[in-house]
Amino acid sequence: MPDPSVLHRLVRDVTGQVRLRRAEFFALRGLFVAALVAAVVLALRETLGSAAMATAGGLLVLGAGAGALVGALKRVPAGEAARLADRGLGFQDRLSTCLEWAERPDRTPLVEALVADTLARAERLEGRRIIRRLLPREARFIPVPLALGLILALAPPIPLPKGGLPNFSAKTEEEEEKAPDRSGRLQQDERPRAAKREAFPRAEVQERSLVPRQGAGGQTQPGDLTAIFKDTSLGSRSPDFNSFLKKGDERIRMLEQVDRLPDLQRDFTQSQYKVMFQRAKELRGGLRPDQLSPEKLRELLNEMERLGRKGGAGNPWAGEIGEGMEALEQGQTDKAMEAMERALSKLRSMEERGRDGKGLRGGRETDRRGAQRDRGQGRGGPGEEGDFPEGGEGLYPGKGKSPSRKGDATQRLGANPFDVGVEGESRQGRKDGFDTNLLGRGANMPSRLQYLGVVGQYRKMMEEAIAREQVPRDFQTQVKQYFQSLDEK
Amino acid sequence: MDQAAPSAEAQAQRAREFVAAFQALRSEVQKVIVGHDDVIDHVLTGLFAGGHVLLEGVPGLGKTLLIRTLAASLDLSFSRIQFTPDLMPGDIIGTNMIVEDAAGRKHFQFQRGPIFGHILLADEVNRATPKTQSALLEGMQEGSVTVSGTAHMLPAPFFVLATQNPIEMEGTYPLPEAQLDRFVFKLRVKYPALEELNEIINRTTRVREVAVDRVMTGPQVMSYRELIREVPIASHIRDLASLIVLASHPQWERAPEGTRRFVRYGSSPRGAQALVLGAKVRALTDGRYNVSLDDLRAMALPALRHRIILNFEGEAEGVDADRLIEQLVEAAESLSAAGKDAFLR
Repeated sequence: MPDPSVLHRLVRDVTGQVRLRRAEFFALRGLFVAALVAAVVLALRETLGSAAMATAGGLLVLGAGAGALVGALKRVPAGEAARLADRGLGFQDRLSTCLEWAERPDRTPLVEALVADTLARAERLEGRRIIRRLLPREARFIPVPLALGLILALAPPIPLPKGGLPNFSAKTEEEEEKAPDRSGRLQQDERPRAAKREAFPRAEVQERSLVPRQGAGGQTQPGDLTAIFKDTSLGSRSPDFNSFLKKGDERIRMLEQVDRLPDLQRDFTQSQYKVMFQRAKELRGGLRPDQLSPEKLRELLNEMERLGRKGGAGNPWAGEIGEGMEALEQGQTDKAMEAMERALSKLRSMEERGRDGKGLRGGRETDRRGAQRDRGQGRGGPGEEGDFPEGGEGLYPGKGKSPSRKGDATQRLGANPFDVGVEGESRQGRKDGFDTNLLGRGANMPSRLQYLGVVGQYRKMMEEAIAREQVPRDFQTQVKQYFQSLDEK
Repeated sequence: MDQAAPSAEAQAQRAREFVAAFQALRSEVQKVIVGHDDVIDHVLTGLFAGGHVLLEGVPGLGKTLLIRTLAASLDLSFSRIQFTPDLMPGDIIGTNMIVEDAAGRKHFQFQRGPIFGHILLADEVNRATPKTQSALLEGMQEGSVTVSGTAHMLPAPFFVLATQNPIEMEGTYPLPEAQLDRFVFKLRVKYPALEELNEIINRTTRVREVAVDRVMTGPQVMSYRELIREVPIASHIRDLASLIVLASHPQWERAPEGTRRFVRYGSSPRGAQALVLGAKVRALTDGRYNVSLDDLRAMALPALRHRIILNFEGEAEGVDADRLIEQLVEAAESLSAAGKDAFLR
């Protein structure tokens, strides 16, 4: 086995070069930091006096020296140095392989040949630097703090601001009032009295009532108790129960009808359709409409029927509900589902009719229309409850022919149109959303939600099929483009 | 018998003989094959690495001729199987036949198939069904075939050279991953350049018979295979080989972006073995007794390109496996200890 000491010497030489380069690298970095600190020290020359110059100079030397020391003392593993030597000397990893294998007990005769070959190459080498110099990024900016320090050293000292800072400590009014007690009355009289500070006016907390506008939540039928709770005019006034009793108001009698009582826990800013849809969603419990059990469907239909009764006599979806219940009795869940969807569709169209740009005219509009309809059918008459002149004048106190007070007009009518409580929207067209599509139009056109669900599934199946069947590349591109176009839709 | 270990000088001499034999073999093949120097080198590297080689290229580029010439240059038996869709495993391996002995008694006798040869040319291997392709699996990995419960050893060295055409996909059966993995290298035979094409015309359109000499025997090949395994490899280079293979796996947490995006399955450990063995052969043929990083880089493409299975996105985007492997090597080098500016650490 040839003596590999020459190789070890070569590695030590490379290690020395690495240390030197590291020392240079870290010295420059230390010098940069020290120059910055020295500039600060020179800026404070007026305070530090003659010691500032010496301190700055010392800092520079110290920074560079400390950096060099850190760099030189960093560990250089022999393997790493050998690899650097291989790269620098063009040894093609001979040296690192030699050093690793020369001491191994399982080395083969070829390793000895390798050591001999590497030794021969190493002996032919002349001492040369193989580790290139690398400058830190900070080295480019070293002249800046150095120049700054030089300028600060040559220029006159920078005067620092003197004097105390104003007293920002807050005195209480009591202290201010007690202060004159400590001095004599005479002095107090002579001293000009400072104007007493005025208390800073507190901002009033402006509470906004977000009670929904009357009639905004869809149609209100005559006798609908929900209208009472929507009536903001009543909300702002103190209750006068005697007037109710004296008039024998129909509303008192209706309180006895339990199933017509509104659910006070419910948010009446929502429309009937929304309430119904949320109820349907709760009952579905994450299932698709076609997975709804007959029990849940029955519950849903009952709920809709109850909602219809509350809505008044003109329950437009009563027929569908009845049909759905009947189908459910016969075990025809599909038909029941279709009937329910039709009912929901009607509900939705009513909802949309209610907000087709007229919603901002006030909730009494529907009442008025209802009254007119009743009058046309021979019911009611002038002077009766709900009889209003044309043009909606009866909405305002003192302007209508009706002797009965209808309450104040809704104050928000001419106010902020961006009020969150306003339900009626002037926007045209249907409300876009998955909810509407899922239940309202699901019977006639495929649901977008379901479509999105299956497209991903089909895409996976397509990828697997293409990988399995070895489809030619041109066709793969076409198939991929097709699925991309589906995604874009 | 206790055999004395050869000395360093003897091993160095054997290494030099190997280099000379390698050059001679290459020269013999180059008598017939014009150009394709890289392909010839890699085929010979595969032979000495102890693996099998798959050649892929359009028809007419000389793949079959290259293999036939190589077989003629070696003093070894040669079998050729033209793979067709109706080829059966028995047509490759052989089958038991009823024979009658001198006494008139009948018994089964195993009739050896063409696989029992030193060099096997599996021409257009992707035209046979996967069932028939799989008949080569055991022979390629174990060096033996089992028929009716009896294992029959194949002659050594056993070297399969398969060809396939990448463009005619109609009526072909792409090789399964397990079959592909058994090839140490997959080589792409490219179209010749103008000068090479002229030389091909000159050589093949004149009445001239090119004689190829046999320059190496089977035992020599086996001996060189052993020598190659003695070549030492430094740990940082071995680590790089492992990192390259790991970086081909999209599941690996440090896998590069290209792998994560376009690769379905990465290379098996056979890929790392092929990489290192190929690098060792290259080192010796280059006159070195150790593996270098350059050897590893040079062997990455032929050793890994058939072991990286692209996903649908990779296929649809037309991602080139070679380009991906180059990125893998770069990523692995940045992860390994052999990175640049190491002295600052």
